[in-house]
Amino acid sequence: MSMAAHSQFSSYDSTSFYDEMFDRERSVRPHYEGVHRLFSRMKPYELAAKHATLQQRMLEEGITFTLYAQNQSEPLERTIPFDYIPRIIPRHEWESIERGMKQRVKALNAFIRDIYHEGRIIKDGVVPRQMIIGNKYFRPEMAGLHVPQDVYMTASGIDLIRDEKGRYYVLEDNLRTPSGFSYLYKGRSLMSELFPDLYLTSRVADIERSLNVFLSSLRSLAPSGKRDPFIVLLTPGAYNSAYYEHTFLAQQMGIHLVEGRDLVYKDHKIYLRDLRGLRQVDVIYRRLDDEFLDPLAFQPDSLLGVPGLMNAYRAGNVAIANAPGTGVADDKAVYAYVPDMIRYYLAEEPILHNVPTYILARKEEREYALEHLEQLVVKETSLSGGYGMLIGPAATGKEIAAFADAIRRDPGRYIAQTTMKLSRSPVMLDGVMTPRHVDLRAFVLTGSETHVIPGGLTRVALTEGSLVVNSSQGGGVKDTWVLNR
Amino acid sequence: MLNRNAEALFWIGRYMERAENHARLINVHYHLQSEDVNAATQPELYSGSDALCKWGRIVDALGSRTAYESQYASYNESDVVHYVTLDRDNPNSLVVCVNHARGNVRTLREKLPSELWDVTNGFYLWLREKGHIDFSRESAHQFFGRIKEWTALFQGVCQSVMPRENEWHFIECGRYLERTENTLRIMQSISPRSAAGGSGVEEAELVYPYLQAVLKSVSGYQAFRRYYADGVSHDAIVEFLILSTVFPRSVHYALHTMDEHLRGIELLDKGLRTAHDRIIRHAGKLKAELACLELDELSHDRERGVSKNLLQSTQQLGIAFAQTFFRMGEVSA
Repeated sequence: MSMAAHSQFSSYDSTSFYDEMFDRERSVRPHYEGVHRLFSRMKPYELAAKHATLQQRMLEEGITFTLYAQNQSEPLERTIPFDYIPRIIPRHEWESIERGMKQRVKALNAFIRDIYHEGRIIKDGVVPRQMIIGNKYFRPEMAGLHVPQDVYMTASGIDLIRDEKGRYYVLEDNLRTPSGFSYLYKGRSLMSELFPDLYLTSRVADIERSLNVFLSSLRSLAPSGKRDPFIVLLTPGAYNSAYYEHTFLAQQMGIHLVEGRDLVYKDHKIYLRDLRGLRQVDVIYRRLDDEFLDPLAFQPDSLLGVPGLMNAYRAGNVAIANAPGTGVADDKAVYAYVPDMIRYYLAEEPILHNVPTYILARKEEREYALEHLEQLVVKETSLSGGYGMLIGPAATGKEIAAFADAIRRDPGRYIAQTTMKLSRSPVMLDGVMTPRHVDLRAFVLTGSETHVIPGGLTRVALTEGSLVVNSSQGGGVKDTWVLNR
Repeated sequence: MLNRNAEALFWIGRYMERAENHARLINVHYHLQSEDVNAATQPELYSGSDALCKWGRIVDALGSRTAYESQYASYNESDVVHYVTLDRDNPNSLVVCVNHARGNVRTLREKLPSELWDVTNGFYLWLREKGHIDFSRESAHQFFGRIKEWTALFQGVCQSVMPRENEWHFIECGRYLERTENTLRIMQSISPRSAAGGSGVEEAELVYPYLQAVLKSVSGYQAFRRYYADGVSHDAIVEFLILSTVFPRSVHYALHTMDEHLRGIELLDKGLRTAHDRIIRHAGKLKAELACLELDELSHDRERGVSKNLLQSTQQLGIAFAQTFFRMGEVSA
């Protein structure tokens, strides 16, 4: 084992948090040895050259996301900050994560099916009825509807974090239109181009076949088992911040990228309008939120969706992935019940644990939380993306007071969680390895097989001490390697 | 046009196509995780001499294993990359191909658009500067990307400024004949492990990256997806690479395009016209051979006999072409 004595690591502190690369004695963990050796030997000018090449490649390929802010007229186009020191997960750790993911997604899917059919879990008093009917993402339109193969979530993104002991916890489930696939794949191809030797000698688990599994999963949804279904990816359009990802997925899977205006509803079917006429659409992989899917069923002033889509869906003539109404299970309040769901539907103990969570609608938990706000993280249950959030330890007294008021006004809208000491991983900042907090978004694909993309997307909070990893809030990403034995 | 001019044009087309093909193939395989890694974890699947790995098969695909072995002791990355890119003793290396193309353009400078010389010369000079590629410093991806850009530039210039006369048709005949051969060679080099198919998720996981690399080496990945969706299998890929009528690097497409250009050649000499008709018939036979292929024959072709036969026929066509137009009776590479 080598010690972190090299210049790039000299001021590296690995004591107060779990560090992905170094153990408490500042020795390099065995699975990081190859990576550590390479980066600690690289000269500053070599690192600078790699950085320049990387930036160049990302601009050329248009790997960017759009940032909208209220006080600026033109949106910013940014390359997503990509850090080239990979996150490494040893095989045995990954196998347990993988099992945990499959278990969790299976239970969540069973939950959604149950909610829109018998509602057993409510009748049995495991999940309070209020959690469902008061839920902004509950879609009564889905009640009693059969979805193909009983698969509600073709693609799920589960966010994981590690505490100071290195134990993994689920931070949140993204079951509506999880994003990040393109960063994961582009990150991998950039790494294999920039550091071919390191990549090729590291025995990294392949992720390419996962795209094939993704496509197979979409195809398996085709109504009446059609053999050669016509699949489209429904995007809100080129102004959407994740548009790059939509083009990437459509291109890689060979499916058509369409906007709502390209589709027409006729005789309870959905057609694509193209130069050759109308072509019936069998499966829609939508990257559009529920409320915009169909102005006749949901938000009437939306121009993004297809009027009549829900009729065609109800008639069983088109499949939608993910199914409408899956948001009911990724709400932050429902999150607290997922371990119970696993026990209830699968009669198994959860393999992956939740972060300890306080449901603020409950009096005792609320009172405890209000007294300890400076130690807790408070999240709004109806928003995602990291905008409506209080991180107690980092907040000012004024911010805490404002949140306390908001909680008292509408306690059902918030949950509070123990502040986790997110693990850290070295990132290269100006040629110096510096520890930053990371999480991991793992992707689960469900079709005839349930598949977890090996590795997933590691997100980094690039600001010192920050715990917010979302790209909309200045987070970056890393390639994530699962090592084969 | 002089016979030797016709020959030079034909070989310009062939050499530039060959250079492009080399760059594509090496680039994709370079970034493919070595099957040696898999061989270590799954010895039962990778036993025997086929564990020679991707580097051996790159040499196979570029058609010169015997020659390689006479110069180099083993199949490893740096030797193979050097051999196929910058080795001046290898008559098929990138730098030699480009040098030949340049030499041929030089003999025809006054007859060809001047941009064509500029591009070919610029390409050669750039490549010569490389001298020795240190991929630990320079990204291999960038290097091969640049090669593809140079060849695309060359083709773009041909396309946009060359009069559609015999000169043009000779270059295009060379290009598409070479492409037919190259695609067939790539298929010959497909690992018999991946051809053996097999079932089970584990095996699929091992073979998938390799099959994908084959598709990417001809830039056929996206086109394949559109027609075969998630059916990435050895059989589907072979079918696509041989029979696709729309994919410009398939054997079918390349052969038919070559045939069109062959017919486009206009000759005054009566004796030559007879020979010209004969070679058109020869190409017709090859087209017919392709048209009569049954899908069964392809999918049961574990020994790759089909692509081997097609490759032989194509090579014979090349020789016939040379005998007809250049009357030299031999091919110079």
